[in-house]
Amino acid sequence: MIHFRPVFFVIGILLTTLAVVMVLPAIADAAVGNRDWVVFATSAGLTLFVGVSLIIGNWAPRFDIEVREAFLLTALAWLVAAAAGALPMAFSGLNLSFTDAYFEAMSGITTTGSTVIVGLDSAPPGILLWRALLQMLGGIGFIVMAVAVLPFLKVGGMQLFRMEFSDKSEKVLPRVAQIAAAIGVIYLVLIALDATALWAAGMTGFEAVCHAMATLATGGFSTSDASIGHFHSLPIEMITTVFMLLGAMPFVLFLELMRGKPGRLFRDSQVRGFLGLYAAAVLALVLWQWLGGGESLPQALREVSFGVASIMTTTGFATADYQTWGGFAAVVVLYITVVGGCTGSTGGGIKIYRLEVLYATAKAQFRRIIQPHGLFEPHYAGRPIPEAVASSVMGFFFLFALTFAALSLGLGAAGLDFLTSISGVATAMANTGPGLGAIIGPAGNFASLPDSAKWLLSLGMLLGRLELYTVLVLLWPEFWRG
Amino acid sequence: MIKFRPIVFLIGILLSALAVVMLIPALVDVLTGYSRDASVFAVSAGFTLFIGVSAVLAARADEPEIDVRQSFVLAALGWAVAAAFAALPLGFSDLGLDPTSAFFEAMAGVTSTAATAITGLDGAPPGILLWRALLQWFGGFGMIAIAITVLPVLQVGGMQIFRLESAGGAQRVLPRAAQILTGVGLIYVGLTAACATALWATGMTGFEAVVHAMTTISTGGFSTSDQSIAHFRSGAVEAIVILFMILGSLPFLLYLQALRGSPRRLLRDGQVFWFLGMAAAAVVLMTYWRWHHDGEPLPQALRMAAFNIVSVVTGTGFTTASYDTWGGVAIAAFLFLMVVGGCAGSTSSGIKIFRFQVIYEAADVQIKRLIQPSGLFVPEFNERPIPDTVANAVMGFFFLFAASYAILALGLGAMGLDTLTCLSGAASAIANVGPGLGPVIGPEGNYAALPDGAKWLLSFGMLVGRLDLYTVLVLFVPAFWRG
Repeated sequence: MIHFRPVFFVIGILLTTLAVVMVLPAIADAAVGNRDWVVFATSAGLTLFVGVSLIIGNWAPRFDIEVREAFLLTALAWLVAAAAGALPMAFSGLNLSFTDAYFEAMSGITTTGSTVIVGLDSAPPGILLWRALLQMLGGIGFIVMAVAVLPFLKVGGMQLFRMEFSDKSEKVLPRVAQIAAAIGVIYLVLIALDATALWAAGMTGFEAVCHAMATLATGGFSTSDASIGHFHSLPIEMITTVFMLLGAMPFVLFLELMRGKPGRLFRDSQVRGFLGLYAAAVLALVLWQWLGGGESLPQALREVSFGVASIMTTTGFATADYQTWGGFAAVVVLYITVVGGCTGSTGGGIKIYRLEVLYATAKAQFRRIIQPHGLFEPHYAGRPIPEAVASSVMGFFFLFALTFAALSLGLGAAGLDFLTSISGVATAMANTGPGLGAIIGPAGNFASLPDSAKWLLSLGMLLGRLELYTVLVLLWPEFWRG
Repeated sequence: MIKFRPIVFLIGILLSALAVVMLIPALVDVLTGYSRDASVFAVSAGFTLFIGVSAVLAARADEPEIDVRQSFVLAALGWAVAAAFAALPLGFSDLGLDPTSAFFEAMAGVTSTAATAITGLDGAPPGILLWRALLQWFGGFGMIAIAITVLPVLQVGGMQIFRLESAGGAQRVLPRAAQILTGVGLIYVGLTAACATALWATGMTGFEAVVHAMTTISTGGFSTSDQSIAHFRSGAVEAIVILFMILGSLPFLLYLQALRGSPRRLLRDGQVFWFLGMAAAAVVLMTYWRWHHDGEPLPQALRMAAFNIVSVVTGTGFTTASYDTWGGVAIAAFLFLMVVGGCAGSTSSGIKIFRFQVIYEAADVQIKRLIQPSGLFVPEFNERPIPDTVANAVMGFFFLFAASYAILALGLGAMGLDTLTCLSGAASAIANVGPGLGPVIGPEGNYAALPDGAKWLLSFGMLVGRLDLYTVLVLFVPAFWRG
């Protein structure tokens, strides 16, 4: 039997936290005299009521959260947080339908950054702040999940990142809590640094804070329909590029950096792979744009380095419409969308370490084919990859492809054109934001999609954010049995 | 060091055989009065025969022993060299193909892909049309042969699951393999003859019937008309072609067993079941979509959906409609069906059904293990447990397929093609289907207009896809050539 009490208890805590955070946009709206503050205050009250009721109703002196409860809790946490996050949006002055509000909130909490809101530039500050806050909370929530929960659930090869102390079980919780807290502090410090830098580069204080939160969360919600392109400022683009890249790196390594072990950050194979791929993609597209597209070299470098960082880190800010760059660029963009960032960061996608594991496994297989009797073990970061990790990474890859195919067929059946379908699914599952094509491209918006497509995309965002297995496992009858 | 002698010897035999086959279109051209093309074929045959016999004589050895590495080189080289020499008559014929297009066309032929760079098939000399069909027909049988005998031994992408059970140990495998190949070959010829007879009975000329029968059973897809099967406007022709395309993409070994008195294995085979089930589901859903969403009358929707979906999923590539105008869902569906492909041990390509079964079983077991970390779950295929090495090899294949596809599509993009052409062209080439999607290479289109670089890339993609990736890609691993 699954114990629901501890699950509901933790959800209660989550909702209470969300309610407290909802007060911030209420204050922001009240400060400028916007009537939306009432909506935020009411939503906060309602969320608080539900949250506290859940806490009180399910309180117990001692809780056992086992594997199944952990799966259920993780999936439910994101679903419920998106629902609560949608409340103020649905009742605000923007007049979003419930589908739109839920899509927007899911896009926020999964740090995707796809938006259905048109007219951000004139939207009340409360809503803008709330969207940024959702992304910030979603970002840190995901890091904590990736560091503390997924390795223990052995999801998609994440057991590779199990911390060394995992066998001494009674000490796990305090250590994990400690590490999560430290990572949280680092996260906030980076946001503060980013906000200060953006403010110094000419943004207003409010814009700087919103963008800093959306940047470090690799979310990509902006305060303007034109995204970062609105500011026409090279310094802002450079600052954002740096902090997007930082947001997509494993935060545990920043912790090591603080502890005086910077070597691990630079020797980490994921970080190297990530930066190497980034450099390769930038180089290829700069050359393509400069030699083939007839753009000046500085301009190409500026647009490409920002655009590639934005997509690979799965942030989704836009400055240039990379769709005008031709078929080659579109294919590159599609790939780096699904590749994504490093694990243990706020970035989404398949993630660098999985590709590295897959590559190492494929290499070992080739060796084995050549010498059927030789002994070849795939290695990751100098250590042999356990059989179980290799197969769950490959399983993840397959499930990713299968989910991708199923969702894009679904979007096609909802009436979307081919490019919108496949790029929409890619961008949702990798939690990036913009897709390709005339509708949802970097200059576009998700508002005009049919409701069914929005629900499918919301599902895609959730699946992608929770590394597929965490959601799919709930669909297996064995999960609920015995 | 790899010894090349036996490889050269066997390639020589292959070329000599190819030269003999080249005489058939020469003869047909003579009979129909295309004397110039007949001489092109004859000269090409002479040249090929000369090279082939020279290779045989130069590299003759007492016992051509082939080890694992030599088999890889032989398989890859066999297809590439065959394509190169098969391109000769195409290049020098009246069609005026440039060398790139001729090689592309020949490679499409021997890999039974229906990608053509020739426009004006309807007025083309019969020799050329027959030659293209012959290439596909022999290429298709070559694929069955290596899928039954060589690939399982080489342990390519999980194919070891189909290793022939041999009671008498290693030395009895070869005679048994020869025996099996003879049986399968007879079935192949028999099915081709049956298909040709049926097509002829519906009103095709004898020549058209033979050509289409050869390209149908080999799931190749070359036609005698630019409009492909649509040219005949006949429901009966389409039904026959559907039937034989499906027969061409089922495991041929099972036919042999069925004839030997165990037909139940054919009916109860997991691969066959899932292949037919998937094709039927796709046809039903697409028919519903065309009928419900596009307002197409039901019989017409069914006819078009059934033919084109079966054509794509078997990797044949005949067309009767421009299905890339059926909307986003159709494009996505056709793209995915393309890469799924038929059954292993047949003439069709792609990822193949058994790999999906294996991966699905493995993923199912993984998820159950997540739920009960201490439980014992074993993935099964055809009621037998799947060894870990097979599961891993299959998943590795899947990754390698995705990676090769990605690189190929990227390369096409760098040649300046549009997104849909890149994505569908790469899929179509690797899965040996033929037509892609979109205005350039779609079902109505043609590969003639592509830049030379793209044709070379696609030719390489066809070769890699036909030989189950590993067989070709392993040659690019430095360790292969060492020690």
